Amino acid sequence: MTKRRLLTSLFLLPAAIAFSAGYQINVQGVRQVAMGGTGCGLAWDASTIFYNPGGLSDLNNWQAYGSVNLLFAQTRYAQVPTQGLTEDSKMGVYAPFNIYVGGPLAANNKIGVGLGIYTPFGSGLTWENSWSGRFVTQSINLKSVFFQPTVSYKVCDFFSIGGGFVYAMGGVDLKKGIPLQDENGINGQAHLKGNANGLGYNIGAQIRIDDQWQIGISYRSRVNMKVKKGTANFYVPSSLETNFPNTSFSTTLPLPSVTTIGIAFKATDEITLQADFNYLKWSAYKQLEFDYVDNTSVLTDTKSPRNYNDKMSFRLGGHYIFNDKFCLMAGAAYDPTPVADGYVSPDLPDANHWIMSGGLTYELNEKITFMGAIEYNTTVRRNAQYTPDNFNGTYQTKVVLPSFGMTYDF
Amino acid sequence: MKKIFLVLSGFALLFASCKPTFKADAPSANGLNFSNYVAIGNSLTAGYADGSLYRSGQMNSYPSMLHQQFVLVGGSLEFKQPLLPGESGWPGRKYVMGFSTDVMGVTSMGPVLYSGTLDTGANVASLAPFNNYGVPGIRAIDYTTNGYAIMNPYAGRILSNPFSNMLAEVKKNPATFFTMWLGSNDVLGYATSGGEGSPTIGSPNNISDVTTFKTVYDTVVKTMVANGAKGALMNIPDVTSIPYFTTIPANGLTLNDSLANLLNMAYPGFNNNFVAGANYFVIQDPTVVAGFRQALPGELILLTVPQDSIRYFGWGSATPIPKKYVLDLTEIQNIKTATTTFNDYLQQQAIAHNLAYVDMNSFMKTLAKGMVFNGVTYSPTFVTGGAFSLDGVHLTPRGYAIAANEMIRVINAHYKSTVPMIDVNKFNGILFPSTTH
Repeated sequence: MTKRRLLTSLFLLPAAIAFSAGYQINVQGVRQVAMGGTGCGLAWDASTIFYNPGGLSDLNNWQAYGSVNLLFAQTRYAQVPTQGLTEDSKMGVYAPFNIYVGGPLAANNKIGVGLGIYTPFGSGLTWENSWSGRFVTQSINLKSVFFQPTVSYKVCDFFSIGGGFVYAMGGVDLKKGIPLQDENGINGQAHLKGNANGLGYNIGAQIRIDDQWQIGISYRSRVNMKVKKGTANFYVPSSLETNFPNTSFSTTLPLPSVTTIGIAFKATDEITLQADFNYLKWSAYKQLEFDYVDNTSVLTDTKSPRNYNDKMSFRLGGHYIFNDKFCLMAGAAYDPTPVADGYVSPDLPDANHWIMSGGLTYELNEKITFMGAIEYNTTVRRNAQYTPDNFNGTYQTKVVLPSFGMTYDF
Repeated sequence: MKKIFLVLSGFALLFASCKPTFKADAPSANGLNFSNYVAIGNSLTAGYADGSLYRSGQMNSYPSMLHQQFVLVGGSLEFKQPLLPGESGWPGRKYVMGFSTDVMGVTSMGPVLYSGTLDTGANVASLAPFNNYGVPGIRAIDYTTNGYAIMNPYAGRILSNPFSNMLAEVKKNPATFFTMWLGSNDVLGYATSGGEGSPTIGSPNNISDVTTFKTVYDTVVKTMVANGAKGALMNIPDVTSIPYFTTIPANGLTLNDSLANLLNMAYPGFNNNFVAGANYFVIQDPTVVAGFRQALPGELILLTVPQDSIRYFGWGSATPIPKKYVLDLTEIQNIKTATTTFNDYLQQQAIAHNLAYVDMNSFMKTLAKGMVFNGVTYSPTFVTGGAFSLDGVHLTPRGYAIAANEMIRVINAHYKSTVPMIDVNKFNGILFPSTTH
């Protein structure tokens, strides 16, 4: 009973903010977070449903897994070319979460099944309503939650495959100023809000080469998050209201495909090292379009070019078995930004990310293990502009992310 | 206790480490002395907008904006302007957006006269010296004219001695840095009176005499730099590109088939030129035998032309538009030639005295194409463009801020300073009614 209540409350937590490059969130497992985001090569626990579905049949038993990340993020903006002004975004606190249940159908069965619920993409950034970029963005919140039923099959002793169907749901909520003022000089505002959903899949395979080396490969497909009927509200001076009818809109936000190759190396009985290479097909994100149902001469459909670039990120991690109870982990990663110069918008002023992380697990008993990790994520200070809006600035984002989780083995 | 302390300080550290801490580069005056900034100019400098001068317009004058940026690089906190007491406008009321009903009973939104009590313009010379000596209506050639107070009530408010001149007044407050935007009215008066000119020598309806212009301008600049002041000279914008002249198109006569036929019969000399759709207005022109003709591409109709007369009483079709509401091609050429001549001289002056030369003429041309600043597109379109105020000649506070940023850009380039740019969008543009009728 208690457990169910815990899971339910986890489920209600708001999901997500971008803190990996682009609007990806790379925090789908506590151990993996602690190891720089690596985890494709080896199935550590039920979170392999996300990291590599092929590993699910490798688990020894059924496991229930829950984790939550507390994500503190802030972005600073400095005006360019003459930096007379710096402005900080509001401190964002977010809680991306993960729930996995799964394992082999029976002990030593070749087939594993499971379900994963996780938040791989999202972004959130809220500026003061009166900040200097208010006509570009005031706040943005993109959320997604993926549901992934998964099947895995152990083809032979050293080779297993797996795959899952993904149903994604989420939403978009954004506000920006409209540069039309009423008698008192109050500017207008646009508020767009809508629910989105999309479909995709996640497949993977793991190969054990020898007692020391293991390789994993996974492919998480692109998911087009479609908002079919969002609500668009415009707050403008009354005399102009007929030009800005409240209406509905549609839009699509592509969540890019991710191809991962992971290598795990068991250096000693106690120490395992791993490396992951993620190839993200960000070029799917060409532009952000809003198609309004009711158009007027001033309310026209908008297309903001984004032109993201495909990128490869590099991750390293290590796992050390300290004793029967404790394991220690550490890692680092370099996550380059998909956002090209000239397209760095203050709704996601992205830059190359450097990541350091560490963590530990504590095995309470045979059934229950607690996990904790912390990640420190910083972008390099970037001097950039969003050309379509002629908005220029120097940005830096810092994120600290403590991650907590628990597994229960049946 | 110790453990709790450790945990708490751990969380404090967490929060602290996720705050970006980089510091913006400190702006620099690079040796420029902003301890006494003085602005010289006309209505644009005074903060005139919406057809009048009023307090908030003055407070958002571009010299006031520049001063606020100069403070960031060590400038004096004090900046004194000859502020009017109220918001209504003086000596005439300002325009605001509102609803008006035309002679046929059609109500529409547009500029209407403000309904508040007219402001008062008592002499404020006792508050001198000022930092903003912008005088609406003043021409460069007026700057050394004794007794100018009699001709210009705005000068009359500022001058301590009505028989003296503006330069003598400005001299009382030796600037360490100055801006000078003079010369627009030396062509604007001719343009806004439809290029008709006046037989009276020195009338504001005539383009200023070039020799006089040069002599007076030279005297003013020499006086300003006499104590080693640095500064910037702004040149004369192309006045024919402002909404006052571009809002009503020369081919704004919209006809249907039957009206076009009627006009073709009425004007047999026009070779059946009238067609359904857009047509060039019929305008008065005493230089042709008939005394009227159709407007030509490139000719300009003034914003002041009575719109009801065009809409309902056949102006521009049955009745030629009077010539005082039209700038014909010759008149436009006169304006352009004079502007170029004056601006060439201004540039020579800037070079001779090593002052920053702000080419507002070119800058306004880029604005004409539409200019995006921090997500807002500005253009010279009347009302909706956001940059020009409701008189179609002067700027909104946002428009003044855009102009001030161009001045800052050029000052920084010339003096290798890094005076910060202005957040244009924090100022007001056009204000729209919060009612629907």
